[in-house]
Amino acid sequence: MSDRLTSRRLWAGVALVAAALTAVGGAAAGRTAACGTVTINEQAWAGSTANTYVAKYVLEHNLGCKVKITKTAEIPVFQAMADGKVDAILEDWQHTDQYAQYVTKQKSVVLVGPNGVTGIIGWFIPKYLLDQYPQFATSKGLKGKESVFKSAESGSQGMFLGGDPSYVQKDKYLIQGLGLNFKHVTVGAEPAQVARWTQLYKQHKPVLFYWYDPQYLNAQYQLVEVKLPKRFAGCKDDEKAGGDPKAYACAYPSYVLNKLFSKKFAESGSPAATFLKKWSWANADQNAVAKLIAGDHMNPDKAAEKWVKANPGKVKAWLP
Amino acid sequence: MSRSRVARLAAIVAVILASFFALKSRYPWPTWLEWNSLSPHLDTFQTWLLDQRNAEHPNVVFAAFNGLASFLDNLVAWLNDLLLWLTWVGTAVAGVLVVLRFGGPRAALLVLGGFASFAAMGLWEQSVQTLALMLAAVCLSLAVGVPLGVVAGRSDRFQRAITPVLDAMQIVPAFAYLMPVVILFSVGPGAAVVTTMIYAVPPAVRITALGIRGVPVNTVEAATAMGSTEVQLLTKVQLPLARRMLLLSVNQTILFALSMVVIAGLIGGQGLGDTVTSGLYSNPALALLAGVAIVIMAMVLDRATEAIADSTDPTRRHLTAELRRRLRLATLATGAAVALAVGLAHVLGAGRVYSRWTAQEWLLRYIQKGLDYVQDPSTFVFGITSPIGDFIVQYGLQPLRSYFVETPWPVSVAGVAAIAFVLSGRRPALIALAMLASIGVMGEWEPAMDTASQVLVATGMAVVLGIALGVWAAESELVARILRPLLDALQTLPQLVYIIPFIYLMPVSIVPGVIAAVLYATPVVIRLVAAGIRDVAPEAVEAAGAFGATRRQVLLKVKIPLARDAIMLGINQGIIMVLAVVVIGGLVGSGALGYDVAQGLQRNQFGQGVVASLAILALGIALDRVTQGNRRARREGMA
Repeated sequence: MSDRLTSRRLWAGVALVAAALTAVGGAAAGRTAACGTVTINEQAWAGSTANTYVAKYVLEHNLGCKVKITKTAEIPVFQAMADGKVDAILEDWQHTDQYAQYVTKQKSVVLVGPNGVTGIIGWFIPKYLLDQYPQFATSKGLKGKESVFKSAESGSQGMFLGGDPSYVQKDKYLIQGLGLNFKHVTVGAEPAQVARWTQLYKQHKPVLFYWYDPQYLNAQYQLVEVKLPKRFAGCKDDEKAGGDPKAYACAYPSYVLNKLFSKKFAESGSPAATFLKKWSWANADQNAVAKLIAGDHMNPDKAAEKWVKANPGKVKAWLP
Repeated sequence: MSRSRVARLAAIVAVILASFFALKSRYPWPTWLEWNSLSPHLDTFQTWLLDQRNAEHPNVVFAAFNGLASFLDNLVAWLNDLLLWLTWVGTAVAGVLVVLRFGGPRAALLVLGGFASFAAMGLWEQSVQTLALMLAAVCLSLAVGVPLGVVAGRSDRFQRAITPVLDAMQIVPAFAYLMPVVILFSVGPGAAVVTTMIYAVPPAVRITALGIRGVPVNTVEAATAMGSTEVQLLTKVQLPLARRMLLLSVNQTILFALSMVVIAGLIGGQGLGDTVTSGLYSNPALALLAGVAIVIMAMVLDRATEAIADSTDPTRRHLTAELRRRLRLATLATGAAVALAVGLAHVLGAGRVYSRWTAQEWLLRYIQKGLDYVQDPSTFVFGITSPIGDFIVQYGLQPLRSYFVETPWPVSVAGVAAIAFVLSGRRPALIALAMLASIGVMGEWEPAMDTASQVLVATGMAVVLGIALGVWAAESELVARILRPLLDALQTLPQLVYIIPFIYLMPVSIVPGVIAAVLYATPVVIRLVAAGIRDVAPEAVEAAGAFGATRRQVLLKVKIPLARDAIMLGINQGIIMVLAVVVIGGLVGSGALGYDVAQGLQRNQFGQGVVASLAILALGIALDRVTQGNRRARREGMA
């Protein structure tokens, strides 16, 4: 048999098989959701994973939507919403610059409103340290005792562990403005900072660090906040602005965490948009789910399912 | 290096040290010599760009960028959809059979292993997304990089012009240009491909150029004497003889591209990069697993392309008519088998994504056990590593840091320029001087000197280790074989995945960043040095042997001197690699410029990020000029 015949037969066989299988196979009709596909952006931290996956669970099981989860970084996600590539974000920590650009100026993103969670930022110490030095309850009590917190990298000064570069911070100026002898050590991103203070906590050593709520670790470690001076009018909060350190010498404000939609999604009238507009929960809820995900390493879908099944009343309040 | 040179260097360092101890901290960079409005100007530029982009009727330039972004988005989406449509069975079978046909059974087995591991780890969907993205990025990077490398290999002037651009592309941290990329290309796989290409094109260009230049001049002359045209010279002489270097450039492009997977995820790349990022915050074991998947993908892609290149090497096979017929049949048979497999998969209802039994939970549990051990400060390992870290920081890195930061600035600038002059000549010295001056003028003197102290330590270690291991790997096949997967892993495993657990063992700043830099930079140095030494003309080695040289003498007096270009490229790339991960250092406690760049992106302080990146770039250029030696003298055969 000549090889041309062999190859012709081979090709014919391939074509026949392909045709037969295409006819037999056929595509199963995809379940057309009542509300189409919703794209929600999940931020890096566990709290955001918590709220995104709970919303996803209810959207998929109660409203029949298809949910796509993206993980674009905090600042670029605004451009993604403006371009319609992301429909919603459920937790934003007051990026007022982006609001000015996208919500006010360009009107391509809609500020929907609070998601029910209040963010608080401050200086924290372990509870065992407060028991040992009760004066550390306020920042005034730290004065003169900074050497309690010294480490290999801070020399004779006390060490203050700074926060993740993406979080709003003013601790360098706060330390100066309050006249404290601390060395502000930038320990890097949150996982690195957590590594530093948890190791010190487990060794029962003194540690002072920038921290916040909602955060799942607050349920696992006993931390107390060091009271900073009360807020006064004109107190500044973002180091970007520079200036006199004394202008920063007050406590951080509390942050209303916001939900934002892309203009396209907000005006779509989709049941998903109505649901997400109503969606809101408390710090305790977010911390509970975040603990399941990050503390107990539960799969986020399963963690969301667990919470939803345990809180039918709260879920019902969100549904149309 | 001559004795007088060493003496002169020692004298310069002595002067700098003396002025440090005498005049410590009294001469910080003067504020009247700073141009602080660069940062606000850049912020205004970004706002302007944003306004332009989102305007009612955007400029036609944006239409061009949008077009490119859509093309790339669609390309990646199409690849992704194709891989999913084939179903998981079809994709695996297609990959294995195609590699089997073109690359041989060994590579096919590796591909099978790769797919099996993605399935077992429960990361199939993310792996396919990343695979689609990387295939697009690597192919485009090679399509752009190799031709440019060929031109650079044949034209000195072009190489001189393009080298600073390549340096910038590799050193300037992706964090700095992420926002402009997003503004121009929006968020999505397109932007991810562009960001990856910016980092992956330079190695393709550089190593291809090195390969073309490595073709012996005699051979090129002989070919020209026989009457070949330029094209014939290129395609029939230079490219085939540069084959080993071309393969190294493909290997490095793949590894560089895959090392960008996590950053690509930040702007819509999806896939394994996303798993790593959120894993770092909520599930470090899963982040490590995804990191391992990235490494496996890199190794499989690399081995597969190498096997394909080897089997299709025209010098190794003799294509008779009979063989050609058989190969054609084999191709047809492969196509048929793939079609059959895909068809069967569809019929039997195999899903688009593998989602059955996975070993993920079991794997995560074991990894978590390891992580729990690492995170426990009462273990005996912690008892050893923690004090070592404290010691290194307190008595090594902190003093070095203050030595760099607090030396009076005129002394530092003049000292570095003097060192550059002694080592490399007048022009490099002037460039180094200009670079340091610009760092001060931009207002980044203190953080730049802080970063410089760390970069110097990391580069020194990377170069020393790299040359030593590179020489060893060139001389010993066994060592090369053992090192290869380890080097692949170190180049592609996302650093944060292994450095964050390391911080638990050594909870001090600076050290983790330096270690991350050394582990990332050393593999490149090793590879280039080994390739250079292996490529030394065998005639020269034979001649030396004929004269009675021992193996050691051949190595030290023939191979290393003849491989000088590759070794210098290795040192240059080592410096660049260390600078490329300054931002990672900033994320794990190195502070200074790395932290400023990270904050620049994440707090939308574009100007700050760019200025800090420019300072990193200036440091890189200064360091490179200091260490490159006298290029011109070398070229003219005098040094």
